[in-house]
Amino acid sequence: MTIELYDYVLSANCYKVRLLLSLLEVDHELRTVDFHPAREHRSEAFRRINPMGHIPVLVDDDVVLRDAHAILVYLAAAHDPTGRWYPTTDARVLGEMGQWVSFAEALMSSASAARLHVNLGYDLDVEAARRDAHALFRVLDDHLWFQEKAGRTWLCSPEHPTIADIAVFPDVVLSEEGGVSRLEYPAIRRWCDRVKAVPGFDVMPGVFGLGMS
Amino acid sequence: MTVGGWQPIAALDDLAPRHVFQASLDGQELAVWRADSGELNAWENRCLHRGVRLSIGFNNGAELLCRYHGWRYATGTAGCTYIPAHPADAPARTITNRTYPIVERYGLVWSGREVDGRPEEVAELGAHTLVLRALPVWAPRSFVLDALVDHRFAPNEGLDVDPAEVEMTCDRRQGSIVLTAAHGGSSSTVVYWVQSLDAHTSVIRPVLAETPDDVIAVLRHHARALRELVDRVERTVPSRSVEPQGPLETPVVVERSAGSGPHIEVRVRRKWWTAPDVAAFELTPLAGVLPTPQPGSHIDLRLPNGLVRQYSLTNGPGESDHYRIGVKLEVDGGGGSTLLHDVVTEGDVLTISGPRNGFPLRRDTEHTVLIAGGIGLTPLLAMAQAIRLDRRGFELHVFVRGEDALAFPDVVESFGADATVHVALSPAQTAGRIADVLVAARASHPGALVYACGPAPMLDVVRATAAAAGWADPAVHFEYFSNHHEIDDSTPFEVALARSGTTLEVPAGTSLLEVLRGAGVALPSSCEKGACGTCAVPVIDGTPDHHDVYLRDAERAANTTMLSCVSRARSDRLVLDL
Repeated sequence: MTIELYDYVLSANCYKVRLLLSLLEVDHELRTVDFHPAREHRSEAFRRINPMGHIPVLVDDDVVLRDAHAILVYLAAAHDPTGRWYPTTDARVLGEMGQWVSFAEALMSSASAARLHVNLGYDLDVEAARRDAHALFRVLDDHLWFQEKAGRTWLCSPEHPTIADIAVFPDVVLSEEGGVSRLEYPAIRRWCDRVKAVPGFDVMPGVFGLGMS
Repeated sequence: MTVGGWQPIAALDDLAPRHVFQASLDGQELAVWRADSGELNAWENRCLHRGVRLSIGFNNGAELLCRYHGWRYATGTAGCTYIPAHPADAPARTITNRTYPIVERYGLVWSGREVDGRPEEVAELGAHTLVLRALPVWAPRSFVLDALVDHRFAPNEGLDVDPAEVEMTCDRRQGSIVLTAAHGGSSSTVVYWVQSLDAHTSVIRPVLAETPDDVIAVLRHHARALRELVDRVERTVPSRSVEPQGPLETPVVVERSAGSGPHIEVRVRRKWWTAPDVAAFELTPLAGVLPTPQPGSHIDLRLPNGLVRQYSLTNGPGESDHYRIGVKLEVDGGGGSTLLHDVVTEGDVLTISGPRNGFPLRRDTEHTVLIAGGIGLTPLLAMAQAIRLDRRGFELHVFVRGEDALAFPDVVESFGADATVHVALSPAQTAGRIADVLVAARASHPGALVYACGPAPMLDVVRATAAAAGWADPAVHFEYFSNHHEIDDSTPFEVALARSGTTLEVPAGTSLLEVLRGAGVALPSSCEKGACGTCAVPVIDGTPDHHDVYLRDAERAANTTMLSCVSRARSDRLVLDL
């Protein structure tokens, strides 16, 4: 049975899942949820699929999963024969991936919140969200700059990207929609270019590819 | 707020291959990028077309492409080389982005307003340095400079020494602060520059005056120490202390063009024989930067004896600091090529025009067929290099008289299997080979385009063969060396200029171009033989008598444009849109 993803095109969290599905070349169907303006994710019908009323939700045969980061873990474990996207044999790498997935959670309440305020009118303290996003970006830029100096390309130690990169990338690359400039973070910008260069990379509205076609 | 002086805007390492770096200097955003040749560019971060940031564009190694509509700008000059919405037209030479000075020194990339020379000399920075981690700080530049005076760090030989026990000395200079940390007989010196991103944001850019053994440990130590300084500065900067920054009018444009008019002085930097009867010349400007070459463009070369000759530029994308031409010796050619072969030498100064492009290359087709006869190779070399950069398909066919007659063999060889050299074929064999090429390409790539340049009989064959093989007229592009038609200028005619409301007589023996110029109409021209297309004028009414070799058959039949240098009138009167 084909994998189904309950999806909204402008959602950064849904994009994380679409991106990994594309990178893994996994066939799937999108079930569009009218997140805005209809708030379909809060509807009774959708709550039968996800009682928490959030997207994305992934359905793979009898596996029904909510939460983008949980879905990334599942997809990498179940559909990546190379085992590279979620390597589980090295304790250090497992810890690193967990650390950056938590970082991605922090982006959701800062960079992502600012974007929801600007794009969809969410009522929140946008200046505080932007300040928090910049504080996180400073940490991320520091980390990526020293990774480059150590000859590393990605968030975690392996020589290839992992789900940590996929979890963090969308809210970073979309930050300017929320008024969080990346002018001060050159290492982040170079890492965004590198993510875009991974074979199978997928775009979304507001996220461009590297080349012109 | 002091505007002026060199400021570092990036570390050289920030400019990764094929990356476009977003920078800012005193509130002016810049797109900074490095071409594959190593050439550095700092441009206003704004496409001339719709104002989109160029820093989200695409660096193809020789050109920067805007993300929005694909306008291309050349490295070095920032001149527009291609506009996808007008694929058949050459962009006007005046479409050139704003460029800023940019140099590399001490591992940093520098720019500035009203600057000349180089960034300040710092005696402490010798051959061995280390660019430390730069940190942004939300405070005005002057505030940051003041705070840096009290900055502390440990010397490389004692990174874990308590900073309170380190003896710091500070030397505040024109644009930098030099700090030395000493402890127990060892010391380290760091030079700090502060870049002003805008009125309330700065970047501290330190360079260590030596290359330590444990680079990572030293980088981490300084990044940590500087982070503490940044935190302190941001806690203490009064929130409303932002220095008022006056409106910065238009950015300072550095006049780099060597001129757009008919006269640019160039020096022969290099002359060599690329084939026994073909001399190649590399021409560099005496001052400024040459206008941006485009694939297919040519220049007028004014020779010391007063002759004017047209030569195609062979430059590939990214080769913007010189023009390269190939000159075939024409013993019966009126003396231009003889002079260039025998008299002109390296170091000589010549006068040229800016490039004109009557033979523009479309860069939106999957496959392009390039057919060259002899020295007709030159514009097609420029085209093939541009297509290769775009990673689109092409096949280059060069017809030459003998093995050693191929000009620029090194460039042709670099195309590998995409280039085929056809040697010493008879006219009939050449026609047969051209037919094979055109029939095969038409079958395998129905959307392909043909570009041909060579002697007139060969081009006539290409055009007739292409038409017979089913190629549409607009798909076949050609450029003749010169006009082989007999020009009959024995019939006078009348010409009305619709926009100026003037009527003029064109007498026998005088060209339309001469009459128009005599009446004060400023028309550009180049070859004045009906070959290059520079002097084309729009026709509203009447039937031109075309004597050129520039227009395609369909354009000729449409009677909406004519070349004023040679063409005349079949009707008694022509009405021009002038």
